[in-house]
Amino acid sequence: MVYNSPSKKKLLAIIVGILAFSTGCAATTSEGGVAPVDPYESINRPVYSFNSKVDNYLAKPIADGYRFITPDFMQSGVRNFFNNLQDVGVVLNDILQAKFEQGLHDFGRLGMNTTLGLMGMFDVASDVGFEKHNEDFGQTLAVWGVPQGSYLVLPFLGPTTMRELPGYVVDAAANPGTYVGVAAPLAGLGLLNARANAEGALQFVNEAALDPYVFTREAFLQWRNYQASDGKVDASQGIDDIEGDVIADPQTDKAHAASGSSKAPVLGATPTEVKPVKPKTTYTDARKAFEEADAKLRALKSKK
Amino acid sequence: MFAVVLKNGFLVVLFALLGVFAVQAETVQTPKQVVEEFQAALIDVMKQGKALGFQGRYDKLYPAIMRSHDLTKIARIVVGKEWEALTPDQQNSLAEVFTKLSVASYAHNFKDFSGESFQFDNAEETSRGGVVVHTTLNIPNDKPVKFDYMLKEKTNGWAVINIIANGVSDLALKRSEYTSILQRQGFDALIAQINDKIASYSKL
Repeated sequence: MVYNSPSKKKLLAIIVGILAFSTGCAATTSEGGVAPVDPYESINRPVYSFNSKVDNYLAKPIADGYRFITPDFMQSGVRNFFNNLQDVGVVLNDILQAKFEQGLHDFGRLGMNTTLGLMGMFDVASDVGFEKHNEDFGQTLAVWGVPQGSYLVLPFLGPTTMRELPGYVVDAAANPGTYVGVAAPLAGLGLLNARANAEGALQFVNEAALDPYVFTREAFLQWRNYQASDGKVDASQGIDDIEGDVIADPQTDKAHAASGSSKAPVLGATPTEVKPVKPKTTYTDARKAFEEADAKLRALKSKK
Repeated sequence: MFAVVLKNGFLVVLFALLGVFAVQAETVQTPKQVVEEFQAALIDVMKQGKALGFQGRYDKLYPAIMRSHDLTKIARIVVGKEWEALTPDQQNSLAEVFTKLSVASYAHNFKDFSGESFQFDNAEETSRGGVVVHTTLNIPNDKPVKFDYMLKEKTNGWAVINIIANGVSDLALKRSEYTSILQRQGFDALIAQINDKIASYSKL
């Protein structure tokens, strides 16, 4: 939203460079107390508290004010409008992930909400059963098998991972809001809308977390994995990993210890990245789906 | 006199038998039943939420959670390998405050009712002899939330050891937090911080 087009290519190049670098050296550090996904915790933590301060003293008061003075139907109109702009990117990422049927569904949504829904102000598609999907370029990269990379907290933008970085550019490029003349106020309203919608979740973190930084990191990483795999993450997987570390019989424990200290699970380690979203299977699935669709298309063409 | 003794003896035997039957009846609960009984208790507390107040909700939820969850095991998994390094006293006090925290967070977060309902989706066995019960919380005018319960068999039946809400595992979250605090600040700081949380839940 905030990126100007001239610098976009340059930024993309830098980010792709960072990503390539990060995948090379991911999971090399695993010293005691440091989670393998978060080697930059010493930088991330101060940025996190900076963001919290900005949020407390600036974003929250503004968002609260917005929620206070804006009637509910206007808030949902604004929310629907930005969701509809996002749906352009959703369709694009559906295609990139070879989810053609879902792509058609989301394209139908986009068309219906842009026309009948008065430029997206009303989510008429959901009302007739076309529910919204959530796809973005970060998920596409996960489906393609790009490793997650290290956890990062960006100033103002918040939690992310190396793999998510190109998404900031691609998703902004896929969002029509980026190209509108009144981009700056629109972006401002978009941020305001996002902050207002997040109020409940942020309150929950503050209430539930002993260490909000770690809580946010874990919740973010798990949530993104869940989205990237479309909710098909094996619910027991993480537990069995955890349990295996802790309640395994002494023999397996010894085997663990014997296999070398680098492999021993680090305490406080994030279980999420130990087994990622099985990228290979997902990639194979995506390719299979693509090949099937391709074969169908060819068959159709040859009939004609 | 003899008749009274005989009658009392008969009653004792009768109650003992009843007790055996009661225990047997409890053990036959399937994982699905354990989850559904707990969810029914939760919805019930939500419906009376405002009238009960925090303490009322806490008192009603405590037995329901104790019946359906294996909180000692959860506490043990949550602190990971550090568990072995704790003294038995420390292990007990951790399990105790952890239980209080779990009940308090339920009592705080499920305080009112606006037509929510739980729906059973399916159950599957996991590789290590556990069962995952998949359910959905339907909320009127809002997106449904997927709640997956991971259960393990303990001596007297199945018990929940983890809850995964929309793919976010409660156990994994707590484990990262707790181990990080244990390592940086030590055991007493962890207990103190959990106690602070319980106190703030009861005030909010």
